[in-house]
Amino acid sequence: MIGLKVTTTRQRKSLLFVLFVFVLAAIVLGGRLLYLMILNARRYELMAEELHERERSIKAARGIIYDRNGVILADNAPVCTVSVINSQITDPERVIQVLCEVLELPEATVRKRVEKVSSIERIKSNVPKETADRLRSFSLDGVMVDEDYKRFYPYGSLASKVIGFTGGDNQGILGLEVKYDSVLMGTPGKILTLTTAHGTEIENAAEGRIEPINGNSLTVSLDIEIQKVAEQAANKVLEAKGANHVSLVVMNPQNGEIYAMVNVPEFDLNAPYEWNSEFAPAEGEKLSAEQTQILLNKMWRNPCISDTYEPGSTFKILTAMSALEEGEVRLTDRFFCPGYKIVEDRMIRCHKAGGHGSESFVDGIKNSCNPVFMEIGARVGAKRLLENFNKVGLLEKTGIDLPGEAGAIMHKLENIKPVELATISFGQSFQITPMQLLSAVSCVINGGKKITPHFGVKVTNQEDKVIRTFTYPVTEQVLKTETCETMKQLLEAVVHDGTGKRAYLPGFRIGGKTATSEKLPRSLNTYISSFIGFAPAENPQVLALVLIDEPEGIYYGGTIAAPVISEVFAQILPYLGIEKKYSEDELKLKNVGCLTVPELTGMTKTEVKKLLLAYEFGEIFYEGDGDIVTEQFPLPGDLVNKKSSLILYLK
Amino acid sequence: MKPSVQKTEYKQQTYFDYSLMFITLILICIGLVMVYSTSSYYAVKQKFGSAGYFFWRQLLFAGVGFAAMLFVAKFDYFWFIKRIGKRKLRLIGLVYFVCLGLQMFVLFFGKEVKGARRWIEIPLLGTFQPSEVTKIGVILFVAFVVYSAPRSLDNLWGFVRVVIFVSPLIVAVGAENLSTALVLCGITFVICFVVARRKSYYFVVFGLAAVVLVAFIAFGGGFRSDRFDAWRNVETHEKGYQILQGLYAIASGGLWGKGLGNSMQKLGFIPESHNDMIFSIICEELGLIGALAIILLYVLLLWRLFVIASNAKDLYGSLICVGIMVHIALQVIMNIAVVTNTIPSTGIPLPFISYGGSSLIVLMSEMGLALSVSGRIEFER
Repeated sequence: MIGLKVTTTRQRKSLLFVLFVFVLAAIVLGGRLLYLMILNARRYELMAEELHERERSIKAARGIIYDRNGVILADNAPVCTVSVINSQITDPERVIQVLCEVLELPEATVRKRVEKVSSIERIKSNVPKETADRLRSFSLDGVMVDEDYKRFYPYGSLASKVIGFTGGDNQGILGLEVKYDSVLMGTPGKILTLTTAHGTEIENAAEGRIEPINGNSLTVSLDIEIQKVAEQAANKVLEAKGANHVSLVVMNPQNGEIYAMVNVPEFDLNAPYEWNSEFAPAEGEKLSAEQTQILLNKMWRNPCISDTYEPGSTFKILTAMSALEEGEVRLTDRFFCPGYKIVEDRMIRCHKAGGHGSESFVDGIKNSCNPVFMEIGARVGAKRLLENFNKVGLLEKTGIDLPGEAGAIMHKLENIKPVELATISFGQSFQITPMQLLSAVSCVINGGKKITPHFGVKVTNQEDKVIRTFTYPVTEQVLKTETCETMKQLLEAVVHDGTGKRAYLPGFRIGGKTATSEKLPRSLNTYISSFIGFAPAENPQVLALVLIDEPEGIYYGGTIAAPVISEVFAQILPYLGIEKKYSEDELKLKNVGCLTVPELTGMTKTEVKKLLLAYEFGEIFYEGDGDIVTEQFPLPGDLVNKKSSLILYLK
Repeated sequence: MKPSVQKTEYKQQTYFDYSLMFITLILICIGLVMVYSTSSYYAVKQKFGSAGYFFWRQLLFAGVGFAAMLFVAKFDYFWFIKRIGKRKLRLIGLVYFVCLGLQMFVLFFGKEVKGARRWIEIPLLGTFQPSEVTKIGVILFVAFVVYSAPRSLDNLWGFVRVVIFVSPLIVAVGAENLSTALVLCGITFVICFVVARRKSYYFVVFGLAAVVLVAFIAFGGGFRSDRFDAWRNVETHEKGYQILQGLYAIASGGLWGKGLGNSMQKLGFIPESHNDMIFSIICEELGLIGALAIILLYVLLLWRLFVIASNAKDLYGSLICVGIMVHIALQVIMNIAVVTNTIPSTGIPLPFISYGGSSLIVLMSEMGLALSVSGRIEFER
């Protein structure tokens, strides 16, 4: 071992120094780790978490919509989504077979999806719960059934354009569903899951779960019974008159609550993309996507609030109101109608060719005589007329709680020349929405209180606790009480023996006004027949308007529209607790009414005769020859029709 | 004399450093577990066949490495510097030229991976990185040069002579792999430093080299200054992505870690996390405690190498151990420093733990060398 050189102590020291340097470096790195992993870890840790976490939302159940009596108008039906997780399937053939069988899908479709290598593949959504439960009972590996909600409308098409529907993401698309979206929607929950860099979720790694907060429920003023009655009546006239569509609104003129809003033909809320009878395209007709969308929007449109029309004679209510308010007319004022009125260089005709001749103001409104209204309109003048329209809210939107409300199309004051003034006076040459007319007439008949028509009543939470009650703007006394009282009498007279007499219902005091509006352009000779009516006339509890768009044949509002309201009132007035009260005239004329038979036995003939003066029996037969009544028929306490015969046995 | 020889041999017990071997094996076992943990997702995702693809390969390499270790441990390291027959040539010279040849070959015919030509493809066996073998060559060669004239190292010229001898290898490696060249420089420098009796100019050289290196990294060629920028702005620089992901992993570990196998960052966020970035996943899964334990194991390993170097029977064996010690220390320090973004990123594997056949087999052979040196230590009872 020559040349072997043993390490020296000096070299060992040097090496120890080197080792010391390395250990020092290791300690520095250890310190660096301490800093990165403990002392200053939070920032990068959070960034890493953010990178790994993925939020998956859990749908919140949408709130329920109730009618005023707690009947469910919009509900959530539990549905399920069936998916397969490719990597978890153990028996693909059985999975395919069962899925085909239970979900009733073609095998090829199922096979393609089951055999596709993906993290998760949806097989079918909107599967009814029972079907899903049946599928679950097979407990197949790799088949996932997720519960979900689908909006469900128990009454199908009833009040479709009011209630509206929701889209796939549970958001409102139309009607009340949109307007009260924030109330109904709720807050979706969240599941925090971890994913790999390639976005695959890691199983059983759910870090957190925030439960969804279900939407609150909404109670609206609609009354499903009234809505049904109104829809039935509207459908009847729609069919009978072959009209395009018929709108019918029933509301409470005192507070603006809407009981029913019908727009037939309605569409099916559970299948809002299917055509109704009005819009169904002809067979074989192909629509472009754009055309389809336009037509769908038309079908979903609520004409009561979104479409304007020339109100025609129903508007005379407001002209009359203005004239009374301004003191420009008294009920006894006399007018003469030759069948036309010359305004400047134009001759504007009355609907009655020969004219109504000499008439009072009351007759004028009963006859719906145009020259009378042109005359009083001229007396009031454009400025004051518009002021009065404005007082009852005609020149602005009603503020109804539905999306898409249109406003009035009215002349500007400076543009109203005598001809325009004349036509405005009987409801032509400008446009308003049916809802505006209802709102304005409500104000006239409720004693001058300007109300806001509305649906929303209250919001309740999951525990049925009321968490919010809606209030709407009300302006008290925009009209004089006397004006309102007079108007109610006048309108009652219209129904009693004027143009609106077909709305007459014995036992009820009904007021109203008819209209026949010619649609634009006039050359087409198409009409909207309408009638606005209310009851009871002295203290209106219900106001209804019906619009029949383009009826075939007879199109006079008084002839075809008034009976619709009468039919509706006949059913809903008793339902609303408004009792029949026959006037003396009615009792006499129609010979109607009942009386309770009094106790007559034991009385003398003279006493009986005296007592019976107060009763309206028909013939009274006395049997036997005595002076004291021993028996009687009908028996005391019986309810009999007036003018019934009474038989008394004497001894 | 025969009985006396026997008596001497009885008295002078041979020594075998089991501690070194077991520390090595423990590190390799930890490495195998971590390679499986970090690579299984990648192996499945990248369709390598099975989740255990990298694990089984690494186990195979470890087996080969273990055999190599035992073989080299029995092998007398003096054979390297013995003349072959009567010729002037020594085995070490052969090693030198083989290494140089391989480095030249790889420069021109190597397989390019991610912009660096560092691999030689061997049919059936996969790829092999000659720079790993060069490390062992440089250790043996520098130790030999210094061993042959230790006194000359006392002046600067002696050091320069060593540098001139070894520089062809270092330059050949450095052309494609700066970090390995740095490790080689470190090995050369420390071996010379340890032997020299006058140290002052070594500090000057070290200082100068450090300044040149920093300047080179900061202002040098395009991609290196890119690395420098990425290091300074790790959160915003696009090249800082991998390091930033590593920092996420490290920060997620906390004191005790998420538990073995629970790393999130290995799930595709850190690409090929079984390679150079494996320490970040160790931090994430095993926490600060686990990371420090592993650093402690390395320190113990260095300590054993120090003990062997200090007690080696001869200077050559001692210097070989010094070289091995520097090699492992520098790689561990550089790897952890890169992973913790303490220095600009450079591709250097973590000894015994990172996946890689060439590296593992070479390192285990080095351990075999160290064991061989330890085996010649004689000490009297």
